[in-house]
Amino acid sequence: MKLKKLAAILVALAIVCSLAACGKTPGNKPEEPGTDTRAINVCLASEPDTIDPALNSAVDGATMLAHLFSGLAKWAQDDSGKLVIVPDAAQELTEGVENEDGTVTYTYTLRDGMKWSDGKDVTAGDFAFAWQRAASTSLAADYGYMFEVVDGYEAIWETDDQENYVNPDAKLNVKAVDDKTLEVTLANAVPYWNELLAFPTYFPVREDVVANEAWATDPATYVCNGLYKMKAWEHNSLITIEKNENHPDAAEVTMDTINFYLSDDANNQLSNFKNGDWALIDDVPTNEIETLKKEYPDEFFNVGQIGTYYVCWNVNENILPEGSNLTGVEAENAKAEIRKAVSLLLDRNYIIDSIAQGGQIPASSFVAMGMTDADGSEFYKNTGVSDQFVGYFDASAEALEANFASAMETLKKYYDFDEATGKLTNFPSLVYLYNTNEGHKAIGEYIQSALANVGIPMSMENQEWATFLNTRKAGDYSVARNGWVADYNDPICFLDMWVTASGNNDIQFGKGDHADVAAYSLDLTPYGYDIKVEEGTWAETYDVLISTIKSCTDNTVRYKLMHVAEDMLMATGCITPIYYYTDLYMLDSSVQGFFSNPLGYKYFMYCTYKAG
Amino acid sequence: MNSKMLLYIGKRIVLAIFTIWVVITVTFFVMHAVPGGPFVGEKATTPAVQAAMEAKYGLDKPLMVQYGTYLKDIVTKFDFGPSLKQRGRMVIDIISDGMRTSMKLGLLAAISSAIVGIVLGAIAALRRNKLIDRIVMVLTTAFVSMPSFIMGSLLLVLFAIKLQLLPANGSTSAGLVLPIVTLALYPMAYITRLTRSSMLDVLGQDYIRTARAKGVSGPRIIFGHALKNSLIPVLTYFGPMLAYIVTGSLVVEQIFAVPGIGRAFVSSITNRDYPMIMGTTIILAALIVIMNLVTDILYKVVDPRITLE
Repeated sequence: MKLKKLAAILVALAIVCSLAACGKTPGNKPEEPGTDTRAINVCLASEPDTIDPALNSAVDGATMLAHLFSGLAKWAQDDSGKLVIVPDAAQELTEGVENEDGTVTYTYTLRDGMKWSDGKDVTAGDFAFAWQRAASTSLAADYGYMFEVVDGYEAIWETDDQENYVNPDAKLNVKAVDDKTLEVTLANAVPYWNELLAFPTYFPVREDVVANEAWATDPATYVCNGLYKMKAWEHNSLITIEKNENHPDAAEVTMDTINFYLSDDANNQLSNFKNGDWALIDDVPTNEIETLKKEYPDEFFNVGQIGTYYVCWNVNENILPEGSNLTGVEAENAKAEIRKAVSLLLDRNYIIDSIAQGGQIPASSFVAMGMTDADGSEFYKNTGVSDQFVGYFDASAEALEANFASAMETLKKYYDFDEATGKLTNFPSLVYLYNTNEGHKAIGEYIQSALANVGIPMSMENQEWATFLNTRKAGDYSVARNGWVADYNDPICFLDMWVTASGNNDIQFGKGDHADVAAYSLDLTPYGYDIKVEEGTWAETYDVLISTIKSCTDNTVRYKLMHVAEDMLMATGCITPIYYYTDLYMLDSSVQGFFSNPLGYKYFMYCTYKAG
Repeated sequence: MNSKMLLYIGKRIVLAIFTIWVVITVTFFVMHAVPGGPFVGEKATTPAVQAAMEAKYGLDKPLMVQYGTYLKDIVTKFDFGPSLKQRGRMVIDIISDGMRTSMKLGLLAAISSAIVGIVLGAIAALRRNKLIDRIVMVLTTAFVSMPSFIMGSLLLVLFAIKLQLLPANGSTSAGLVLPIVTLALYPMAYITRLTRSSMLDVLGQDYIRTARAKGVSGPRIIFGHALKNSLIPVLTYFGPMLAYIVTGSLVVEQIFAVPGIGRAFVSSITNRDYPMIMGTTIILAALIVIMNLVTDILYKVVDPRITLE
């Protein structure tokens, strides 16, 4: 029958057409992993906002920059596998010389043979230019404040009442003595100076290159001085970098090509890892973590990261029962005691084991695990009030019952308690603010139920990310989810954000009604300072303490002062630490020679594949 | 083309420009009314840095002034400005990168869905209630009712992870196969069903019976008379479908990490990247308006009985 024949022809035609449609995409096949032993495919995140070293403020961008640029110093692994800061473009990391006015001058000599990817020599002038640019008001870089330790920074950003810059010609105190010699003067000695030199904001750029504002968006104009140079960039899709043969250390590099695939979808990343296309993925879907740990025990990694997940309380929120006759300092102290009691009601081990599931560590302090103290020990282990546990309370599972009992004892002092139901009856309603995300929501819901259990009513409110940041910053909340990851290994990263004027002062210390609350004391006489304040405001105590720390040149004293600052902060109860962050990633078991640093930067240059 | 039709097209173009102006205006003011800003992050920059950034991009000026400048730049220079998030890149470049990928994806998906859909629909209609019709109907019902995120995930697991035939990311050309299939399945199924019912309707018409009675051959009846007339509903569907499909499917782009315009659009909103939001909205709105216009004109070409008012 004719129709049948026609149908057969049509079906055949349809198949051919649809195949042709697919086939039209000219095929460059996906690289099969293992076939090219000198290339590695990785995925850190989606398209970086920028890979201009001065403008970057993201961890994925920093990882790329650490491959593309050589600063004066860099992170490396020593023979025992320990992470250390070593000289990179500098011949050595010299000691500073203290001047009469207390400033400290460092002089660096550049190594021979350092070249830009277009063949020109790297000069001390390039560093001086790059630093002036990164700290300038005209660039207004997010991380420009990384230069606040350098003499001259404050003058640059000083404004008058009309917000006009007072010193438009101010510069950082850094200069190129000659092509090989760079001289920089710091306002005072800082212990983490060498680490700053390894930070991308301190990487050099060349004046004629960055004159083109779009230089960092196109491989053709992207001139860098590191172990790698940019080969190709398909926006939102793939950045390919290849070994820079001109670099003096090029011989040590074992991975010729690194393909940074750009995707922010954790499920997509996992698919590409599972089918073997990508050797490292920096994100995994939360609900897959348990399965992945079991299925890929050798490829699932969970490493420490210097950050803390916490809940913050708006210091101005009234949480006292209606009709309470406490006012002023008494009210503030009561609120602090209540907030700390509420914190003790939470089971952090449950949150980690059943909700977050990323192998995080229960937190009992704000300054995160991983920060080092003056003597090289861990800062968080030296905090707190007791020898029995680490931190400001005992966050272990065993202490849960005792914590609960002591919390209830405190709460009963301030609120009515109904013995029959075992609940408080007049705790004012709280609202828990979080940004739209399954993980944050689940943790919020747990907190909600833990508080409801003792009669504390709390409702949940979620907001989209940018709105959330705005609301939290403005202080239009009672309790909010929060998190902080440090920029460098120094506890000050966690402490200076709480001064009154800080843009990250979400708790609103020293703002609104809290500005006049004189509930704090500060005594720095034991540390050799003539500072003693009793019943002072936040600005008179904490702000003073932080500026003292910033100008302190004795490292041991400086760290002691930072412990004092954290004690003050935790005494307010406004921070309820939940856990210390960990960095989850998956790495193909055939890859060797990979390492990452506490800031989350990942290093692929010395990777190789295991034979077979 | 007669003058009446030209007049109609002229009127429609004026209307289209008006529509786009309304879209620009509403988006502009709503976007600025939403809390948050482009320079807000987990780690706050100092107020001085914020102010310096805002001054750099003219965001410190009154809103009406910004609106005026924006309209002027669009109309006189077709300048969408720089992206506030991807420092150093122009909005128009980001959009054209994304559109190129989305268009490629969308066009291939639309064409293959139309070809396969029409053919399958015609076969099903001609073999009504036979086994092949049943199979086609069951499959198309399944494809129409399955959301693309499920379909995409299924295809991904099967072809990329289990069989490892195709890559799971859309950054290579081979990687576009799965997203194209995912995108095409729904319209393909829909077009199949449309063609089938419309064809059945046409096959029952008097003129077909007349043609049969006059002894016209089977294929000539189908291709010469039935198919052409049964394509009008398909066309109605195809125009707007094409517009939506080429303007990027967020879901499919997300699942397969395809660097298309859909993803760029959504992330621009999350980032409060104002010029990016405006640029993508305008381009997408313009595309949809134009596709609708083209579809209306095509009706006239296919069916002279339709009068354009």
